[in-house]
Amino acid sequence: MENPGEGTRPGGSLAVSCERASFSYPGSERPALSEVSLELRRGEYVGVVGPNGGGKSTLVRLLNGLLRPDSGRVRVSGRDPVTEPFEVRKHLGVLFQNPENGLVAPFVEDDVAFGLENLGIPREEMQGKVAGAIRAVGLEGYERREPSTLSGGEKQRVALAGLLAVEPQILLLDEPTSMLDAAGRREVLERLEALRAGKTILHVTHHLEELAGADRILVLNEGDLVADETPERLFSDAALLRENRLVLPVVPRLALELGLPGMLRTPEGLAGAIIKRTQSGTRTG
Amino acid sequence: MRLELKDVRHVYAPGTPFEVEALRGVSLAIEPGEVLGIVGGTGSGKSTLVQHMNLLLVPTSGEVLADGVDARSLEKRELRRKVGLVFQFPESALFAPTVEEDVAFAPRQLALGEEEVRERVRESLRALRIWDLAARSPFALSGGEKRRAAIAGVLAMRPEVLILDEPTAGLDPAAREELLALIVNLRQAGISVVLVSHDLDEVAEVADRVCALHEGGVRALGTPAEVFYGEPAQAPATVRVASLLKESKPEIGDPVRFEETLAALKALPGV
Repeated sequence: MENPGEGTRPGGSLAVSCERASFSYPGSERPALSEVSLELRRGEYVGVVGPNGGGKSTLVRLLNGLLRPDSGRVRVSGRDPVTEPFEVRKHLGVLFQNPENGLVAPFVEDDVAFGLENLGIPREEMQGKVAGAIRAVGLEGYERREPSTLSGGEKQRVALAGLLAVEPQILLLDEPTSMLDAAGRREVLERLEALRAGKTILHVTHHLEELAGADRILVLNEGDLVADETPERLFSDAALLRENRLVLPVVPRLALELGLPGMLRTPEGLAGAIIKRTQSGTRTG
Repeated sequence: MRLELKDVRHVYAPGTPFEVEALRGVSLAIEPGEVLGIVGGTGSGKSTLVQHMNLLLVPTSGEVLADGVDARSLEKRELRRKVGLVFQFPESALFAPTVEEDVAFAPRQLALGEEEVRERVRESLRALRIWDLAARSPFALSGGEKRRAAIAGVLAMRPEVLILDEPTAGLDPAAREELLALIVNLRQAGISVVLVSHDLDEVAEVADRVCALHEGGVRALGTPAEVFYGEPAQAPATVRVASLLKESKPEIGDPVRFEETLAALKALPGV
């Protein structure tokens, strides 16, 4: 089952692919996405950034089958998300921006079980999967809590557990931290980092710093895929950042201004590099 | 206008099993022409607090004073004209066929002449730099443009105090920087701004003073340097970097803004 159908290449193992996919919303002057081609191999962690209106949300909707491309082809695990939505949903879990919108059940454990119930999984099997998913997001002991009593970060972790219970190979994250405070963001990002090993992840965000550890970052602007770069390359390309209304976070910006690597993403890392430089006595710029 | 909150408490659903004390005695003032940043985690009371500033919420106990006068004795319309509140995700309230009409809606309620209304709309659209969008449908705008159109509607009331609740949430980084530049311009025009944000880096750039809320109480209130260096673990990235260096390099001082911090780092011997 390595290559379940079209959309994958011989020898390759594509989790997600778009081939010249275009989409225009009815009545709008320009396409929301025009001829976008991209590929995600299994196990890759790929970020998607770009200005508001750049096409990020449209890409998410094409991948989860909410929209059908006007032309071109979209495949998730080799399947068409529009014609095989149920198959695709077993492979692709989507985490949305606002955790409030996704939580439906009276207790945390019921909420986590919701997706499995829809797939008709037997009860005994379900209990094990729910427990495992709750463990994976570090919410043991929260099983009987009501979602409304949780913080934003905790709610988003419940939503993430609900995805994980279904054991999708691919996670599609649509600005999962944008409604969270700093502590909530850290919580969610740490959990995502821990999931990297086993999953293919496509992470849409406005916060470049969240992608410092990604394998690649795609930049969408006015419906075009304008860049596909490693974080190192993107962070140090001031012109590319500016053209796409991207702003580096404070720590890498300070680092670059001081002639240190822009990949230093934590205050601790930057402070350490500064101390090292003052001790070694070398001086630049 | 000087707005002062004295020992404001607020209890939601008092006397019911759902009773929650959201504010536990908050005292602070907004001085004329300053930018006051209000920070704190989810559930710390930020949104509850700002809704007391124009009496959308009335304190369970304590007082709100506008230029020393009990705000409850003022006419509500007049108070809300002077103290403009822009909610989170204000673009959800855009409704008119054009941006211009949307922005004109609020000042039209003020019994001004048509020419005066037009003038205020122009002024507002210019301040937000969306003059070229006047004839467009608000629904055809980008996220950042919609946000600015919604703020323009409140600004057209010519408030003396403008409260912005998480104005940059969900905006792309460039739109965010434009909004911060707008805040700086408003202050230069003499308008006080209350900026509620969970993004400490943006508060660091524009605030004159910072109020840190925690569980409904004031944890710290002072200049950004006082508040952030008082608890560097919960500070903007600039302050976290500088405070990590402070032990071995005390000469770095207390920089908060990006440019200040960069200059202080460059001034360190050997950097």
